[in-house]
Amino acid sequence: MPTHAGTPQTEEPAEALIEAEHVSRVYHRPRTSLTKPGAAVRALDDVSLTVRRGERYGIVGESGSGKSTLLRLLCALDQPTSGSIRFDGQEITGRPERRLRFLRENLQIVFQDPMSSLDPRMRVRDLVAEPLVGLGLPAGDRVAELLDAVGLPASAADRYPHQFSGGQRQRIAIARALAPRPKVLVADEPVSALDVSVRGQILNLLADLVDELGLTLVFVSHDLSVVRHVCETVAVMSRGEIVESGPVDEIWAAPAHPYTRTLLRAVPTLKGLL
Amino acid sequence: MLKVEGLTVRSGDVELVHDVSFDIAPGERVGLIGESGSGKSLTALSLMGLLPEGVTATGRAALDGPDGGGDDLVGVPESRLKRLRGRDVSMVFQEPMTALNPLMRIGAQVAEIMTLHGTPRPQARRRALDLLDRVRLPEPAQIARAYPHQLSGGQRQRVMLAIALANEPRLLICDEPTTALDVTVQKQMLELIAEVAPALLFITHDLAVVASVCERVLVMYGGRVVESGPIREVFTRPRHRYTEGLLAASKLTPRGTRLPTIKGSVPAAGRFPGGCVFRNRCPHATPTCEDVPALTGDGHAHACWHPAD
Amino acid sequence: MRGRINAGLVAGGVLVGLVVLAAVVSFFWTPHDPTLVDAARKLREPGGGYLLGADKFGRDTFSQLMVGARTTLYVGIVAVGIAAVLGTPLGMAAGMTPRGWLSELIMRVNDLVFAFPALLLAVMLGAVYGAGTLTAMIAIGVATVPAFARVARAATLQVMVTDYVLAARAAGRGRAAIAVRHVLPNIGSVLIVQASVSFAIAILAEAALSFLGFGTRPPTPSWGRMLQESQELLFSTPRLALWPGLAIALAVLGFNLLGDGLRDYLDPKLRRIRAEG
Repeated sequence: MPTHAGTPQTEEPAEALIEAEHVSRVYHRPRTSLTKPGAAVRALDDVSLTVRRGERYGIVGESGSGKSTLLRLLCALDQPTSGSIRFDGQEITGRPERRLRFLRENLQIVFQDPMSSLDPRMRVRDLVAEPLVGLGLPAGDRVAELLDAVGLPASAADRYPHQFSGGQRQRIAIARALAPRPKVLVADEPVSALDVSVRGQILNLLADLVDELGLTLVFVSHDLSVVRHVCETVAVMSRGEIVESGPVDEIWAAPAHPYTRTLLRAVPTLKGLL
Repeated sequence: MLKVEGLTVRSGDVELVHDVSFDIAPGERVGLIGESGSGKSLTALSLMGLLPEGVTATGRAALDGPDGGGDDLVGVPESRLKRLRGRDVSMVFQEPMTALNPLMRIGAQVAEIMTLHGTPRPQARRRALDLLDRVRLPEPAQIARAYPHQLSGGQRQRVMLAIALANEPRLLICDEPTTALDVTVQKQMLELIAEVAPALLFITHDLAVVASVCERVLVMYGGRVVESGPIREVFTRPRHRYTEGLLAASKLTPRGTRLPTIKGSVPAAGRFPGGCVFRNRCPHATPTCEDVPALTGDGHAHACWHPAD
Repeated sequence: MRGRINAGLVAGGVLVGLVVLAAVVSFFWTPHDPTLVDAARKLREPGGGYLLGADKFGRDTFSQLMVGARTTLYVGIVAVGIAAVLGTPLGMAAGMTPRGWLSELIMRVNDLVFAFPALLLAVMLGAVYGAGTLTAMIAIGVATVPAFARVARAATLQVMVTDYVLAARAAGRGRAAIAVRHVLPNIGSVLIVQASVSFAIAILAEAALSFLGFGTRPPTPSWGRMLQESQELLFSTPRLALWPGLAIALAVLGFNLLGDGLRDYLDPKLRRIRAEG
């Protein structure tokens, strides 16, 4: 078991699985002048967070809030400009891809748009098996097993992504993410590209899988009400910073930061209007 | 004021919109809700005469003028539509990034739509500033000199609204105008649209959004209007099983509970079942549903053999 | 929905098909021996088994055209093959490391080669290694590499920003696997289009080189050389220039139409226009 420098907790805390400390990411715009370098954009500014084992952790923010940047950093798909990110006690920043195997095996992602996250020229069988092949794990009957787990018929394996509806495609993406039996599932707006009538199916499926497989879930969304349904903890992001974090019900009931209050007020609901 | 009767849209032998009829009174705000493949956008595009190539509309859609004269919108030559489009009927689209010419200043783009329909240039320039002010853009003079990339998404969508309002149209059509915007920006935009629209046809997939803007709603599924009526009534006492399911599915229940869902997924265009288009997903379907249910009822109408009560 | 078969695609396919057909048939059968010199048939008028007549050496024009199609295709295939085999991986490498030194190096060398006229390169190579079909083909192929590299790079850049490449990285895929499994299949259609357009350019270049005497050497029939040989008789017997000229024009047109047609047919953006509500 890795030692963890978790923050002090009052009631028996689950052990920290993902720890980000003082993480910043600065991008440089392409230069517009020959003499001056391109302007620096601070996409992420001194962000710290801890996701505990078994936790359902929500990250809420609008476009430009830095939530996508943070997500990429947590998945080691990008490198922070400064700060440290540990997964299960091991530092993941500054490592070359070949030394990230422990992360790739244990952390998988479901992207927002299943239309673009599935290679249109690959069959479902190869799509779902991709992480297994990539990590050199045996495939065996795993693909059929995974398709069954996400509620797709085994015959789906021989078809191409465009032959499925949006909701079905997201099921394929979830099956792919679960292939290497990860401990953590990161879901980046997994339902915002879907029709309302299938949104519930996908959220229910995610909740079932997280329960059955004992997964830790990091759920990114622009919609605090969706996060409230899925997660127990939330971090609210704005302009590259986490402005507020804590138990989602507390924040929902009594938002402390002005931005969270604006966000909550702005979400249109049926309840208030009818 | 707008009267649509028997609007049908086809692509080849696939019927994408079937026999849609509705009215919009002056000053009325009507919502058209539906998921992907429902035909809601095609309905709007056919009113603008902007259907994609190979897609044709039949039926009648007439826009009454203030002087009593009517203008047909469907099945009339492009030359006539060109005069109406942007003058009597105008539209705001989903994507504010691609709808503006990146190389033209904002003020010039707003003025252009007016000069196109006969307003002298200096007058159009002056009115452009008024319009930018009317859509609540701060510092209209400064915005008018800016290029699209210098504005935020929300500001660009306001500019699109200003362009749509430039010739004082009789009808404004909005197709998912806030879907690409952040929620905090969306709210202000919705309030603005509700305020400035002369008569509004508002297309969206979001029930909560439509409820905050419109008074009346048409629910589309599989190219048909399955339910219509005053929004409060339709949303509190839905009759059609699809509307009922959609409303249930859009409520987020507390954590740890299962969300209500509609089984299956929206079929691809042309793959909807005959009879009631919803019957393959409906928990109440019986053999009766193999016949097409008619849209019946005054005010609050529904097309369902086994309506909820 | 599949892409639409458009008129250009059909017309291009038919023209290219005719060239291929002529070339294939010429292996087994031609009306006469295309290289047989016979003074008795000198400048024979069309007719009586000589469909298009004979040239100043008495060789049957139709037979020469058929065998010339073979040369044309041969040149096109080898030149485009060289360009594709060299240009595609270079372009992909540049596209997959858009900010690295490798990308810079590849693209700058590319610009350099691009700026060098293909015909001049062929004439130079011909002068050094001796003129011939192979020299011409290599020169044309090398000169076409930059076009392929640029197209491959642009398409690769587009593929690299998609979520499925990100998903593949998250799945632990290395660069090489991403290149072979994701990038190549998804830029394939763009490369096919580029290939057919380059084919047309190669045909023209070979014809020009043969005309100048730096291309296919006698006695192998070539459309370009047929043109050259008909030069002095242009006014007395214009048909000798007409037929190879027409063959070149139609073949080039065919490949260009095929390229344009394929572009429309394979473009996923055009294909993905679906009637959505």
